[in-house]
Amino acid sequence: MSGLQIDAVEKDFGETSVLKGVTLNINDGEFVSLVGPSGCGKSTLLRIIAGLETATRGTVSIDGTDVTHVRAADRNLSMVFQSYALYPHLTVAENIAVPLRMRQMSTTQRLPVVGGLIPGTGPLKRDISQAVRHAAEMLEIGALLDRKPGQLSGGQRQRVALGRALVRNPAAFLLDEPLSNLDAKLRVQTRAEIAQLHRKLKATFIYVTHDQVEAMTMSDRIAVMMGGEILQCAAPEVIYEDPNDIRVAEFIGSPKINILPLEHTNDGVVLLGRVLDWPMPAGMPHLMQLGLRPEALRLVEGPSKLRGRVVHFENLGSEIFAQVVLYDGDIRLTLRATPADRQRLSLGKEVSLEFELRSGLIFDTAGKRLRMAEVKTRAAKEVA
Amino acid sequence: MTKNWWKHLILIVGTIVVLAPFYMMVSYSFKSPGEIDRGEGGFFGRQEMMVDPRCVALRQPNRADIEAARTRFTGQADTEIQAALLAEAEADCSMRPVVFNYSKAFTEAPLILYLLNGVIVTVSIFLIQTLVALPAAYALAKLKFWGREAVFGLVLFCLLIPVHAIALPLYIVLAKFGLTNTYAALIVPWTISVFGIFLMRQFFMTVPDDLIDAARMDGMTEFAIVWRVMLPTAVPALLAFAIFSIVAHWNDYFWPRIVVTGNRELFTPPLGLREFKGDGDGSFFGPMMATATIIVTPLIVAFLLAQRRFIEGITLSGMK
Ligand SMILES: Nc1ncnc2c1ncn2[C@@H]1O[C@H](COP(=O)(O)OP(=O)(O)O)[C@@H](O)[C@H]1O
Ligand SMILES: [Mg+2]
Repeated sequence: MSGLQIDAVEKDFGETSVLKGVTLNINDGEFVSLVGPSGCGKSTLLRIIAGLETATRGTVSIDGTDVTHVRAADRNLSMVFQSYALYPHLTVAENIAVPLRMRQMSTTQRLPVVGGLIPGTGPLKRDISQAVRHAAEMLEIGALLDRKPGQLSGGQRQRVALGRALVRNPAAFLLDEPLSNLDAKLRVQTRAEIAQLHRKLKATFIYVTHDQVEAMTMSDRIAVMMGGEILQCAAPEVIYEDPNDIRVAEFIGSPKINILPLEHTNDGVVLLGRVLDWPMPAGMPHLMQLGLRPEALRLVEGPSKLRGRVVHFENLGSEIFAQVVLYDGDIRLTLRATPADRQRLSLGKEVSLEFELRSGLIFDTAGKRLRMAEVKTRAAKEVA
Repeated sequence: MTKNWWKHLILIVGTIVVLAPFYMMVSYSFKSPGEIDRGEGGFFGRQEMMVDPRCVALRQPNRADIEAARTRFTGQADTEIQAALLAEAEADCSMRPVVFNYSKAFTEAPLILYLLNGVIVTVSIFLIQTLVALPAAYALAKLKFWGREAVFGLVLFCLLIPVHAIALPLYIVLAKFGLTNTYAALIVPWTISVFGIFLMRQFFMTVPDDLIDAARMDGMTEFAIVWRVMLPTAVPALLAFAIFSIVAHWNDYFWPRIVVTGNRELFTPPLGLREFKGDGDGSFFGPMMATATIIVTPLIVAFLLAQRRFIEGITLSGMK
């Protein structure tokens, strides 16, 4: 097991630049998710790590050894594909055995009849079928070993693909959206199982997904990718609470973060025509954006910073998401309320919303986070 | 049904047009020469005993035969002995037309040898074609290399070249190497099948890239991918190609006729048919049609067997 270093990797497909300088260090045994919208280059990056695609510029190292020009087969990495990519003509057991047979047996040993005559083939074959059975038991597919992939359900095929990846001991596991072809329930279950598998194997995992929930629940660190760049790579809670970029803030979190325009004038900080009591340091730009998570908004009685009308609401039982259109500026906000507030929310009802200044995230107009402009309670406490 | 009667009519007429020669071939192979000449006897003929005139002619008793037979026919005149011997010969030479036709097919020419030659030539051609076409098709379908489109363009271009157009240069080259009248002459010119490359390439285009990438991750070389992943998934396409290739070369008359001159040891089945072409002693259609029936039977049997595998093979799943 070993770490992985990706250094300034760029990839062009003809004229189009798909990766624009990606640098990422992955520690030994770490579970890193690459998350981002469709088409942002996640798969391309994973395939470059795997050696299935060559980087236009930049290097990939495994455990400090430069493998940029090493064949995929010689990088000692395992990969699980979104489409599972099982060999249709082989049984489950044979599918799982392929990586071991190809790596441990010589060409002549793999021959049907002649191979058996070569000394050492017998014990080797026994070891391989032992390893296959072990992997199958770990994934609870021991009963399916004699079937062909065509006779399996999607979830079972997915397990076989996992089994084929973990039957040997690779430097890292690469998974490209392995759950996206499963139904919702199975996805949640398999998600937990993969996370457990990671804890058990203590192996390096690189997990590609467009689903932020998967990334949030499974990873040690999340790398949020957009437009061929890693915008931020950090622990899930940091990504959620302390994003560097408005695109990260918007991508992570469901429902989406609310964005409001903020003005910095001579009178102070103005939000939708109301002057806020906001101690803004000097040198901040005139126009900014305020990000408020749905749970940062509170329902209050009487006058408040934000007023509007409920236009839609979704009751999920344990929580309620309401959409409120503000009177000022025709802006739509999403609010997370508790079931206790249900009485106060109904379609068309007028509501007042309040928020803590320190829960607001400030970004400049280009989307960069302006930490300087934020109200820092922690900093205030430290001073006190 | 009533609305579509004309479609059925067209199909039925088409079927008759296609099947009629086959019907004639099989029917003639059952009938006696007389029935064939007079066009009677239905499909199977009447299967009355007939006498093979050539057989009798060969056993026309001469003086020595009569002397030798004298002990059996003691006290008879020479003419009587001769008549008795002739009657014996005719009895020995009379048989059912179907037996006559099919036994002639095997005795008149070394048909078994020709069939064996046919098998050697067609199987060798097909195996070498596969050996060349699969890696080529894989490279054209799945590998990225400079000039790939140009190479594929050449493949398409070669599809347009009729065999007969290049027969002469091919013959000259083979003759220069002293390869005429060898198995090599029958096999080598056909070992690179652009049609096979094209067909397999089209099939390989449908194989998901992920499957190939998975194989690479599993430690396979590109050649291992061709033989261990592409070949097993391409069995239906390969069977389709096998049918084309084997039928074409099994039935080929043109090329063997050119490069095999005189040496009967190398005759393929269609060349064997020539041996029945009308010689001085009248038509020999019965045995000829029997030979033709024997020649096409392996193809029909192989096709029926392949057809079942074909349909099994098409239901490929698990790749998605
Ligand atoms: N082989 C290729 N040739 C040309 N463009 C490609 C190729 N592979 C991917 N791309 C392009 O690169 C971009 C990123 O693709 P990909 O890495 O698959 O995105 P993701 O996995 O994040 O959805 C896409 O716009 C895609 O069209
Ligand atoms: Mg992808």
